[in-house]
Amino acid sequence: MGEMILQVNHLSKSFGTHEVLRDIDFTVSKGDVTSIIGASGSGKSTLLRCINLLENPTSGEILYHGENVVRRGFNAPAYRSRVGMVFQSFNLFSNMTVLENCIVGQVKVLKRNREEARRHAMFYLEKVGMAPYINAKPRQISGGQKQRVAIARALAMDPEVLLFDEPTSALDPEMVGEVLAVMQSLAQEGMTMLVVTHEMAFARDISTRVVYMNEGIICEEGTPAEVFGDPKKQETRDFLARFRKA
Amino acid sequence: MDKLIELGQDMVKLWSNYSGMYLDGVKNTLILALVATVIGCIIGLVCGILNTIPYSPNDSLFKRVVLKLIRGIVRVYVEVFRGTPMVLQAVFIFYGLPYFTDNTMRFSSVWAAAILIVSINTGAYMAESVRGGIISIDPGQTEGAKAIGMTHVQTMMNVILPQALRNIMPQIGNNFIINVKDTSVMFIISFTEFFAFHRYITGVNNMYFPSAAIEMIGYLTMTLIASFVLRWVEKWMDGSDSYELVQVDQLTMTAGTYSHPDRGTPFDERSKEYRERTRQGLKHGRNRGGR
Repeated sequence: MGEMILQVNHLSKSFGTHEVLRDIDFTVSKGDVTSIIGASGSGKSTLLRCINLLENPTSGEILYHGENVVRRGFNAPAYRSRVGMVFQSFNLFSNMTVLENCIVGQVKVLKRNREEARRHAMFYLEKVGMAPYINAKPRQISGGQKQRVAIARALAMDPEVLLFDEPTSALDPEMVGEVLAVMQSLAQEGMTMLVVTHEMAFARDISTRVVYMNEGIICEEGTPAEVFGDPKKQETRDFLARFRKA
Repeated sequence: MDKLIELGQDMVKLWSNYSGMYLDGVKNTLILALVATVIGCIIGLVCGILNTIPYSPNDSLFKRVVLKLIRGIVRVYVEVFRGTPMVLQAVFIFYGLPYFTDNTMRFSSVWAAAILIVSINTGAYMAESVRGGIISIDPGQTEGAKAIGMTHVQTMMNVILPQALRNIMPQIGNNFIINVKDTSVMFIISFTEFFAFHRYITGVNNMYFPSAAIEMIGYLTMTLIASFVLRWVEKWMDGSDSYELVQVDQLTMTAGTYSHPDRGTPFDERSKEYRERTRQGLKHGRNRGGR
């Protein structure tokens, strides 16, 4: 295991009186590919959104290289540029072309010059197989293609960790494969990834660690072999059984 | 039929005598409407942006108080200028300034006064349009921008406003057309736009109806051209409906094909592009982490 990047301590989040996350403890180390699985509404996405500060945790702390990011006056934009995020609904900028989507953050946030940013963007667009489409607008390409561009956009920022929030849930079945293939190659290249997913095959075969969440708590975590092969908790067994049947 | 011919003859007569005046009026009206719409849009944009700066309970008390205050001020401005007739605003501002300052301050030119009045009036309407335009943009766009580390200002300038502006183009057009017509009330501060010349010309002869007909045609021509130009601008903003595929390698890559940077093909290896890519790959850390 490599150096620790993120450490979540006693994290809780409530929306009104509804407690979505309860006392979550959890770490991400360099090179980890962590899959977070669990039923809908179990708090997986909220956890991810808290880590990227898109939601404000109600209590607890998130340490990034030992520095607490959940405090007043913390430079959230700078932190977010180091922690990439890929969304379920892609969230590509509709007013820009594919290439422009991958350049704008590098130029505006990382202050790279345009030419360097363009080359960098092209490298990752080629990697995800979207280089021929650089002149297209997001509305002109398919969901799977959008998601691959979104991944390239996140990668172009050279993040230390990539967060994936159900990246294949909004896709037609035949497009899921192309996105998973890209994610798999990233995992094999040693990218640190935190993936909220319903793709059990990805969690089992690609990730190095699996976290099962149930009703706002981490119910079970371990290697894929441990969680899928020999689940300790009854809830985990029930959840996995439901998936096997489907 | 006779009446129509008579009207036509009168219009021709009027036009041949006063065409310079009418055209001068058209020019003044268009300049005033255009400048005031542009300034009004800028005012509206600023107000709309100020109104949509997000704040959370986590922010400092100072920031929250200032933002609330700004929203309050913008709200009062919008309600006052949207809720009173422009004629009266013109009177209040143009004659009010010398009145309240005991004649020590007055507008040096009627142009400045007219532009100011029409601008702040347009701004009040535009503030609400801009606010609507901003909140109509999918929050996912904001999240996408935040997730790559953009600040609120960067998100606004690069992502949200370009889209919001496109969405409120019909509103901007509306305001321009309304301004072309409604600047006619500026006669109250003796600003000589198109309609003011009609009043002058019909004052020296009694061809009231033919002159009104010329005015009608004049206004309609201006607004029709404006509509046409605005449609064109909207089309231009939307960009092309199609796009060209870019051939990156000699081998076509189709959707779903994954290009392996370190495998390549014999064609690639000889190409400059391949070497460049490999170099980039080394520099930007493939095998990052190296488990």
